[in-house]
Amino acid sequence: MKLYDAFRSALQSLIVNKLRSALTMLGVIIGVAAVIAMVAIGNGASQSVQTSVLALGSNLITITPGSQTQDALRGAGPPAQTLTLDDMTSLKEQLGPTIKAIEAEQQAGNWQIAANGTNWNSRVTGVTEDYPAVRDWSTQSGDFFSDSDLRVNAQVAVIGATTSQQLFGDGDAVGQTLQLRQVFGQRARIINFKVIGVLEPKGSTFGFSRDDQILVPATTAQHVLTGRTNVVSSIVIKANSSDDMDNVTADVQSVLLNRHRISNPENADFTVTNQNDTLAALQGITATFTLLLGAIGGISLLVGGIGIMNIMLVSVNERTREIGIRKAVGARRFDILTQFLIEAIALTGLGGILGILLGWGITQVVARIPQASNLLLVITVGTVAIAVGVSVAIGVVFGLYPAMRAARLHPIQALRYE
Amino acid sequence: MKQFRPAVVQLRGVTKTYRMGKDNVVNALQGVDLDIHEGEFVAIMGPSGSGKSTLMNVVGCLDVSDTGEYILAGENVGKLSDDQLAAIRNKHVGFVFQTFNLLPRLNAIENVELPLVYGGDRKGRRERAIGALEAVGLGDRVHHRPAELSGGQQQRVAIARALLNDPAMILADEPTGNLDSRSSAEILAIFQRLNDEGKTVIMVTHEPDVAEHCKRIVRMRDGIVARDELVPRQRNAEHELREMIAAAASHVLQMPAARAASGAE
Repeated sequence: MKLYDAFRSALQSLIVNKLRSALTMLGVIIGVAAVIAMVAIGNGASQSVQTSVLALGSNLITITPGSQTQDALRGAGPPAQTLTLDDMTSLKEQLGPTIKAIEAEQQAGNWQIAANGTNWNSRVTGVTEDYPAVRDWSTQSGDFFSDSDLRVNAQVAVIGATTSQQLFGDGDAVGQTLQLRQVFGQRARIINFKVIGVLEPKGSTFGFSRDDQILVPATTAQHVLTGRTNVVSSIVIKANSSDDMDNVTADVQSVLLNRHRISNPENADFTVTNQNDTLAALQGITATFTLLLGAIGGISLLVGGIGIMNIMLVSVNERTREIGIRKAVGARRFDILTQFLIEAIALTGLGGILGILLGWGITQVVARIPQASNLLLVITVGTVAIAVGVSVAIGVVFGLYPAMRAARLHPIQALRYE
Repeated sequence: MKQFRPAVVQLRGVTKTYRMGKDNVVNALQGVDLDIHEGEFVAIMGPSGSGKSTLMNVVGCLDVSDTGEYILAGENVGKLSDDQLAAIRNKHVGFVFQTFNLLPRLNAIENVELPLVYGGDRKGRRERAIGALEAVGLGDRVHHRPAELSGGQQQRVAIARALLNDPAMILADEPTGNLDSRSSAEILAIFQRLNDEGKTVIMVTHEPDVAEHCKRIVRMRDGIVARDELVPRQRNAEHELREMIAAAASHVLQMPAARAASGAE
């Protein structure tokens, strides 16, 4: 039998049993749609995690003081004060051109900010002059502070876009003065800072707005705000490339171990966290998540496949006489096998295509849910190809047994079947 | 008198045993010798249980014998596989069944085309199917489905299907069993015409009236050929059909009121 005739006869029988074909297909449609939508959501989550991490700056190596770090999870306990600005300077000198940029940060806590007759509450961080280079983050107006500002503990500030909006509205914040206030019982400290720049807006990472913050020179933070002179809470290095990060990590380890006179790396009083490791760990989590979602979709696809098998068995039974007639006029086993197999594949293949459309529709609906607004829903060509391939394969797998039963029927018994 | 013609069917010592359940053994054929030559019109008769259905299945290559030899159109088909038998059926046997056995979802053309779907070219298939339907007088019904056709018309579609691959023989199993006498006469007339054109026709029947339209009657009993004889005076179905039509016409003419009533509908 020619393939043309097999296809024609398969389509004809599907059209004759429209409702039955549609209901059977529904199983596959839902299964494929579930796989497509679930994997798209999983991939979207994975991508948005990656974007969030990379928004902190790319190719970053972070050195933090104290406790050991395993798989990017920081151990508990108060942070030790083992990292200094001198460590940073020394790293900068020794690593030289093998890195792109380096900066140190000191958290100065939350402060009440007053300016322009309003007040606000913001996080204040002391950073060094290469912060914009390390974080890929420049100012939208004004300038970032320089190394000379650091040398003189200048009371200048670069503020986030949200902070600027809250304090100064749509007006230009550059050149304005703001006050940092802290209240200790009866006494209050009030320190004046001059705004010299406003950062570009960057959005939020993991729920924290990154545009509501105040950056001041690290030395100013140490001497004027916290009193923890020379100590920094982290040193951040931007490597030249992603491939370079393992080498730089090793170099940082050896420089710092040497400086801190520690021979056994196990006893290091600092932790080097590679952004690649963080990304890999997070992507491991999202990959598991995607796999789980895909598996849920896969189960509905399997159920759909069983539905196909069920209906094909009914169909073979119903058409026993037809099979007998076809055999009497010369159909070989293979002819009957292909006829029923193509019927099953037509069901699942068509179901697969409709399922992809439905899955796409689901992702469109999900994309409109506000909570998922930053979720990039990704349907790749690969997902679609796999979905179509899998649904056709399901047609073959679940159609094969009924088709084989049909092909094996004896013509006389089939002809006598009532 | 026809012995110079080549044999279509040659059975030598054919046996067939069915096992029904555990201990019940049915010896359906117990050594059948039978020759049927090209151009013959043979009726196979016998009471039920005589083995005539089994004989038909073996002759039609729907089943294989246990022992003995069967040569069909020069080919030994005794030990062929299922698929090889299917090819033989496709090429050499045209089946006509009591229950017509048309595919209900297909129209007349598609039903008739079926043997060419499983053996042959798609090119010219449709034209041949239409030709075969015209040959059985259904040129105006080619797009009708079986449900839209009368029993006699359905059986004519089945005959067209049987003819399509120009088989060595037409094998008809009680072809008039489900038809009224007029449709039966039509079908028998078609068989006689085909036989006149040289086609070999084998017909299984239990009705003596029908068998007398053949040229030769083979009677089965207890799994063997009990009698094998020529029909002394073959009945002419065409002639009977004309008589039936004439009788019906005069019957209607005698009842003008009834005719008027049916005409007014």
